[in-house]
Amino acid sequence: MGMDTIGVRVAGISKRYTHRVKGEIYAAREVELDVKPGEFLTLLGPSGCGKTTTLRVIAGFEHPDAGRVYFGDEDVTGKAANQRNIGFVFQNYALFPHLSIFENVAYGLRVRGQAGGEIAKAVGDVLALVGLAGYEQQFSAQLSGGEQQRVALARAIVIRPRVLLFDEPLSNLDAKLRIQMRQEIRALQRRLAITTIYVTHDQEEAMAVSDRIAVMNQGSVVQEGSALDLYHRPATDFVAKFIGRVNSIPGRVAAIGADGPAIAALGTTLVARTLPAGLATGSAVQLMIRPEAVAIVAPDTPGALAATVVSSSFLGEKTEVQLRCAGEGLHAVRYNAGPAEPLAEGATVAVCLPANALTVLPPADREAP
Amino acid sequence: MSAAATAPRAPGAHRDPLVAGAAFALWALLALFVVYPLAMLLARVLTDQGHFSLAGLAAVLTDRHQIRAFWNSLLLGTLVGLVGTVLGFVFAFTAARGRLPPWMLGAMDASVLLPLVSPPFTTAIAMIFSFGPRGLITYDLLGLKGVTVYGLSSTLFSEVITYFPIAYLTLRPILAGIDSNIEGMALSLGASRWRVFRTVTLPLSIPGLANAFLLLFAASLADFATPLILAGNQFPVLPTQAFLQITGMFDLRGGAALSFVLLVPALIVFLLQRYWVSRRFYVTVTGKGAGTAPFDSVSPGVRNLLLAFCLLVALAIAYFYVLLLYASLVVALGANHALTLQHYKVIFTDGVKAIRDTLIIAGLAMPLGGLYGVLLGYLVTKKEFLGRRSMELVSMINYALPGTIVGIAYLIAFNDPPIELTGTALIIVACYIFRYGPTGIRATVALLSQIDKSLEEASQGLGAGSGTTFRRITLPLILPAFFAGLGVVFIRSMTAISATIFLVSVSWTLITVKILENITELSLGPAAAFSVLVCVIVFVVIGLIGRALRYFRAPGAASVTSMLGG
Repeated sequence: MGMDTIGVRVAGISKRYTHRVKGEIYAAREVELDVKPGEFLTLLGPSGCGKTTTLRVIAGFEHPDAGRVYFGDEDVTGKAANQRNIGFVFQNYALFPHLSIFENVAYGLRVRGQAGGEIAKAVGDVLALVGLAGYEQQFSAQLSGGEQQRVALARAIVIRPRVLLFDEPLSNLDAKLRIQMRQEIRALQRRLAITTIYVTHDQEEAMAVSDRIAVMNQGSVVQEGSALDLYHRPATDFVAKFIGRVNSIPGRVAAIGADGPAIAALGTTLVARTLPAGLATGSAVQLMIRPEAVAIVAPDTPGALAATVVSSSFLGEKTEVQLRCAGEGLHAVRYNAGPAEPLAEGATVAVCLPANALTVLPPADREAP
Repeated sequence: MSAAATAPRAPGAHRDPLVAGAAFALWALLALFVVYPLAMLLARVLTDQGHFSLAGLAAVLTDRHQIRAFWNSLLLGTLVGLVGTVLGFVFAFTAARGRLPPWMLGAMDASVLLPLVSPPFTTAIAMIFSFGPRGLITYDLLGLKGVTVYGLSSTLFSEVITYFPIAYLTLRPILAGIDSNIEGMALSLGASRWRVFRTVTLPLSIPGLANAFLLLFAASLADFATPLILAGNQFPVLPTQAFLQITGMFDLRGGAALSFVLLVPALIVFLLQRYWVSRRFYVTVTGKGAGTAPFDSVSPGVRNLLLAFCLLVALAIAYFYVLLLYASLVVALGANHALTLQHYKVIFTDGVKAIRDTLIIAGLAMPLGGLYGVLLGYLVTKKEFLGRRSMELVSMINYALPGTIVGIAYLIAFNDPPIELTGTALIIVACYIFRYGPTGIRATVALLSQIDKSLEEASQGLGAGSGTTFRRITLPLILPAFFAGLGVVFIRSMTAISATIFLVSVSWTLITVKILENITELSLGPAAAFSVLVCVIVFVVIGLIGRALRYFRAPGAASVTSMLGG
């Protein structure tokens, strides 16, 4: 479907609500987004973070209190949803219960006044594309959740939208189907090269489908980047803790050396990656390290710290180990290449915290979930 | 999101001249046919020659006979509420927990449907036939002489049979909606079946029971036909007193004052039911069918006991209707049991005008009332305009008030210029539309609240304008509510009497009024024949509407739980 692919730009969108108890609250606060043509951007965040509001403003279902929305160069802020040529996939699919699958998918084409023959062909093609050929005369109530999801997808893409929008489309499916469907959505989006904005609260789903992720919290975008960036270089405590699991160790900046800041923590001094702006020698900080980066090493390894095994659970592909090191709890993950000796509870081991896996952040803020 | 109400409107939701026009027209109609008559009624009761005066009301409130009527009305309503709720609960419990085969559930529904759609005097006539001085049971069977059927007990019995189906229809979805896992949980914790019933099922049904009680109380309070026939002189109640005051003593002001006295308890019950009880439900009724209980919540012995009881009641109802049919086919029940079609000949000659008038009026009120219900229901749920909330409340007034009040109010308001409608068919048609159309409003509101907002957004997102979205998405989905409205307005137009008895004239009369005349003239044969005819017409029309509904209703569309709900 070689359409003229366009980008989407969200410039300073704000949306306020009057809440009965909390008073005036921002559902979205000066949100800025720049989605490149053909890009797959995911808005990720906990419930109430403003991701759905932002998406609905982009769709035209809600009108922002401030800010503009651009499709390519065109300012669409004042346009209603039916003027924007979008494909929207709802969380509950919103299939028309009184129309057949064929008529559901054909709906947007009929609205556009296309001829019957064209419609039949387009609907047939798109249903085949989503693997539902032969379902034309069924009704939504007769379909499984996954099938309904595919119909919703087909209905959204058959009109060749300029922008494809998804609002938590997989949250009503079971875990296995969710993984399958997200792969299908990703493959389809690549194939059609439609600029896509996707909303989810599931970080794994976000990492699996997106080119880029914008993490939102309390109405604002807190960090944007690739899954790799967000996972390994979180800018805030919130992002570090929301995406993946993380050990947070309290410390203090001891010195700033050429190969990175030296942080006094766990009764020793650890060299970490770059120091965030605004922190200087003497500042209280927290050190972040992912469990899989905590290496359990031979006792005589230079720079290794002594730790006690609190518990160890074998989970097949990996073993989760809970350690205690200089009074702090430390969570480690060992991936099992083959049968390995289990760690006895109470045993003393040596751990290594590699400098390139240690991220320094300001002390915990209260935004963390 | 309730907060969205204060947010700026979405693009495209501009003020629609069509919406504004429709809202204005509806307000004008409501003002004319709901507010104005009621205001005129109040003015008549509370003024005397242009000045505020409580003399009219005082006259009623100091008359010992009328005070007795007031207390009698409350007593009768309370008793009907209690007995009818218990009976309805037994039926609903048996249906929801008895693991009945589908045909038995069908038979149960059919036996409660009959009293709901019958003309008002049906059970009352059958009571006289059975228990009157020459009654089949009292005189022929038991050989009793000089018994009197008239009074509290027979009125109570007749009203319970007529109105307990309301309790059944209210309670069955509540019982079916209780998650059977909750009962299973209690059972697994070691409670006996009786204990589970007592500590789980019954407490969860209490809001439903309260609701059923209030609905029955209101129905009994408003009932005019049954006490008129059965209560007799010894047990006066307010609606009949108001009627006799006006038709017997030509005292319109006294009748209005009596109906005002009736208004107070009726309003209290309406407000209690709407704003208090309905907010205390534990079970959300989704309209989904009864889930089958995963365990036996009743023991086989109790189940048989319940079934036997329900069967007995169903047989009693069936007996009444068979008796009515029989009475319409014999010369004189209790005296001469020779078969004859004489009564039908009478109603199709002398009574043919009433039949024709009733059919014309019902035929006019049905489509107009159906449209009114869907339009108003749609506007108040989906559109923003001035006075939206109050419009729904005002539209419910004539529906909630006893028919006697509405009838007297119409009589006072439309008897003289500027708006003189007495003697026309229009006054009766308008009365039916604004009194029974609200069923369609409620069905539409209920259906629309089941339809997720995202359906209309999905249509909009696919490029459809608001007109297309309404025509292709919303309208087909609320069609069942339209048919429910049609059904109720037609049934009530055929069977109602309490309001319209004040509105009939030489030019336009009704079958129900004719039945009443026949009974007072003691021509019970033609009365029975008329009743049978009404039942037949109502059943035929219900059947046709059901077929139309199946034809128009798409497989996925939501359903309206009952055509007779409320």
